[in-house]
Amino acid sequence: MNTRSRIAAALAAASLIALTGCGANAGATNAAGGDFPKKGKTIDLVVAFSSGGAVDTAARLIQPILEKELGTNVEVINKPGAGGQIGYTQLTGAAPDGYTIGATGSPSVVVSPLDPSRGAKYTRDSFQPLGRQVIDPTVIAVQPDSPYQTLKDLLDAAKANPKSMTASTTGLQTGEHFAMAQIQESTGSEFAPVHFSEGASQATTAFLGKHVDILVANVSDVVDLTKQGKARVLGVMTSERAPALPDVPTFKESGYDLEAGTTRGYSAPAGLPDEVAKKLEAAIQKAIEDPAVVQKMQDLGLQTSYLSGEDYKQYWAGQEEDFKKVLPLVQKTD
Amino acid sequence: MTTESVTATSKTAARVAPSVLAGIGAFAAVGVYVLISSVGLGLWTSLGPGPGLFPFAMGAVLAAMSAVWLLQELRRPSETAEGVDRALVIAVVASLVVLAAVMDLLGFQLSMFLFLMYHLKLRGRRAWPSSLVTALAGSVGAFYAFNYGLNVALPVSAFPLLNTIGL
Amino acid sequence: MDTLNELMGGFAAAMTWQNLLFAFLGCLLGTIIGVLPGIGPVAGVALLIPLTLNLDATGAIIMLCAIFYGTAYGGTITSVLLNTPGEAASAITTIDGYAMTKLGKAGAALTIAAVGSFVGGTVATLGLVMAAKPLGELGLLVGPPEFFALMVVGISLLVALAGKSMVKAVISGALGLLIAMVGIDPVAGAPRFTFGMDRLLDGVSFVAVIVGVFGLSELLSYRKGTTTPNVHAPNLRSLLPTGREWRRSAPAMARGTGIGFGLGLIPGMTGSVSSLLAYGAEKKFSRHRNELGKGAIEGVAGPETANNSHANAALIPLFTLGIPASPTIAVLMGAFLQQGLTPGPTLFTEHSEIAWAIIASLFIGNLLLLVLNVPLVGLWTSILRVPTTILTALILLFMVIGAYTINFSVFDVFVMIGFGLLGLALRHLDIPLAPMVLTLVLGPLMERSLRESLEISQGDFGIFTSRPISAVLIGLGLLIIFSPLLKLRKPKALNEDPET
Repeated sequence: MNTRSRIAAALAAASLIALTGCGANAGATNAAGGDFPKKGKTIDLVVAFSSGGAVDTAARLIQPILEKELGTNVEVINKPGAGGQIGYTQLTGAAPDGYTIGATGSPSVVVSPLDPSRGAKYTRDSFQPLGRQVIDPTVIAVQPDSPYQTLKDLLDAAKANPKSMTASTTGLQTGEHFAMAQIQESTGSEFAPVHFSEGASQATTAFLGKHVDILVANVSDVVDLTKQGKARVLGVMTSERAPALPDVPTFKESGYDLEAGTTRGYSAPAGLPDEVAKKLEAAIQKAIEDPAVVQKMQDLGLQTSYLSGEDYKQYWAGQEEDFKKVLPLVQKTD
Repeated sequence: MTTESVTATSKTAARVAPSVLAGIGAFAAVGVYVLISSVGLGLWTSLGPGPGLFPFAMGAVLAAMSAVWLLQELRRPSETAEGVDRALVIAVVASLVVLAAVMDLLGFQLSMFLFLMYHLKLRGRRAWPSSLVTALAGSVGAFYAFNYGLNVALPVSAFPLLNTIGL
Repeated sequence: MDTLNELMGGFAAAMTWQNLLFAFLGCLLGTIIGVLPGIGPVAGVALLIPLTLNLDATGAIIMLCAIFYGTAYGGTITSVLLNTPGEAASAITTIDGYAMTKLGKAGAALTIAAVGSFVGGTVATLGLVMAAKPLGELGLLVGPPEFFALMVVGISLLVALAGKSMVKAVISGALGLLIAMVGIDPVAGAPRFTFGMDRLLDGVSFVAVIVGVFGLSELLSYRKGTTTPNVHAPNLRSLLPTGREWRRSAPAMARGTGIGFGLGLIPGMTGSVSSLLAYGAEKKFSRHRNELGKGAIEGVAGPETANNSHANAALIPLFTLGIPASPTIAVLMGAFLQQGLTPGPTLFTEHSEIAWAIIASLFIGNLLLLVLNVPLVGLWTSILRVPTTILTALILLFMVIGAYTINFSVFDVFVMIGFGLLGLALRHLDIPLAPMVLTLVLGPLMERSLRESLEISQGDFGIFTSRPISAVLIGLGLLIIFSPLLKLRKPKALNEDPET
């Protein structure tokens, strides 16, 4: 008996040591006021795209400040797939207790519930917007050795030989897909879309390996590539030139009146208690407007344009109306 | 599908073990089910390869392999593996199912304590002290280790009465 | 020396006290899993994934890697002391290891095994350091079609090597792919095979499936008659081998390192093949070959070195190509994916700090294993003395916690139970489980790269044969599947290998 209980105790002790050891990293915070957030309880920040993309980078930038503001751990969790739908499903399926929040990007989050064939389990009302961070304009880029020097060259070639060039998106019905569809619709050019449904980092990798000819992406994805001479950006889809890409003409300058971009912000599952929502919203605002974060976003080529939860909600509703009109462009037609 | 193939073939090949036939039938049934439902998902859409394409291929592979396996068995039945300890399987599976069913109600500590006591004292016939020590360490001990060491919340009881006493 | 700089950076990152602690805990837990007879490395690693979910990616992967190669050593202890291997790769060590125990030289056998493991593991990790950069740079050449072709090769090797019947191996692989497909289609977003259950939208939990299929089904297939062994730890003084034993072990370790390293690079080869071949090499080349079987130190040094060299070398295809070489590595890859890291060529471009920190921790972990194992031999033997009933109950406890904590939902516990029964049925039907784990992990990646490839080619399947790299790879895959020659030469050990 003696040896047995001793061994059992030793085993239990060993596993206890093992377990507390693992927590050493996670439990290094304290001091939280009120009920939320509970001390030591981790808040999950769900990112619906893979690590390394712009959404992920932005979330990881605000994460330390959120931790400081909220006094507890905030963990970025990547749930890539289906152009964001997998992560959004996880976010809206979580309990609205404030311990799960997520990065939401439109059009993906706005559009995925609109197309019945996707079978999305959420609608706009499943989200409680907490704050908007940036608008990231869409760009179109070609390989550095590409013969096309201007946007017009490229689009004319794509019109003359439809589907002769492959172009990346970050998934079906994401911002890039919409942008591509709008370009095709208004210029008569035609590309062969390749959907990298896990996000911009996969699309960029494939582009760098020359597995796709054209990169349809956001400004933040191409700033570094341009500096390194690994991509030639032919046009940016904004009304004014992007400060990070001063030499790149806008679509309008090239004679195409098109604007597109991805809007990114943060949301929680709908039904948060007011108190919790207020705290989260305040913390997110602090984090987004933090000078260091703003500066880093600028280095990535992004202008911070904060909107409060309420305003983000309004904006979201407006986006839904806009995208409903162009949805047929990116829906399957069989 | 499953029962059909079992009855249809068992007459011709009495030597093939029934469990093997049931297995083949089940795999074939799953394969055919996947094959059919993946067509509904869409093999090819105007946007490119559809959601059903890959499952379709896998369903086809599964169904085809089941057929090949059946042929192999008919030609040369394989030896059946040793039987399992049915009492053990039933005891473990049933106790796990009960545990999973009551865990949200009774909370982790109480349900896991009872589960461990069942396996240690009733099934394992260990002495009381060793059973109690191990079961307490595995239920209450694990609960606190996970909650406070790892920040991993194991369920507490849904009954207010049990909840207030820390279960 | 770019590589050296980055490796130094990796060491700096790996040397934080938390990461050292994770490496230490991983070695400890891995050794325990290796020692415990009821639970193999596959289920063991899967079981411990939930413990790491709250850690940062570097710490989590460091710990899981340590668990992984820790198991490769743990199995030795029971082989030497008890004549029963704790895991398959150490089976051959029983012959001379146990003979040495009977001669009162258990301590020396364990020490030599630990040193051999250290040597093998360290050399293999050096190989990883050398290979990482050049292979990582090739990474951009690997587009979706090449990636798909690579996975075809990996899966066909495993299918060809696992179990006795290729048909059954293919069934196992197809089942894994089907399970991986449950949930929202990763490309177009349509729910697949969810049977209207919202819980399944995110797919079937990988950890719950592995723990069920490998762990629970193993417990369920226990038979009566297992008794608690009576083992004694060798005393500390006997742990030091004599000078003669050292001299005799050195060439055996060198041979073992080479064999383990070479075979570890090949997907589908498990550690048991390496240790078996290393034993064979000793039989052929050792100067004391006639003593083998009667307690020759070479019979421990060779296989044990090969075993650990293999385990570490098997990380090379994972890190550089994203191809898991064995079921245990596939589970490890699942953990990478859950941490948001995709092993493969892009790992070194996108997460180079994490990758190098993990590599550095492999060196540290191998050293830790050496320091840890020899003095702690008393602890391992006392674990062996824990009665089976208590062990079974505790393992069940960990399975339930493991399954529950992935999503904090009882649903996953039911999933685990269900897959435990499926695993039992598959074992009964003699269907190998290894291909299933591999496809379970690779399924989503494989489907995605297939669909991306077809989008690039606009529906033309010829893309897989018109691009040189993928054409070669696909050809290789077909050759493997259809080559009867390969089947003939298949080492016998693979058929009895519980790891596959």
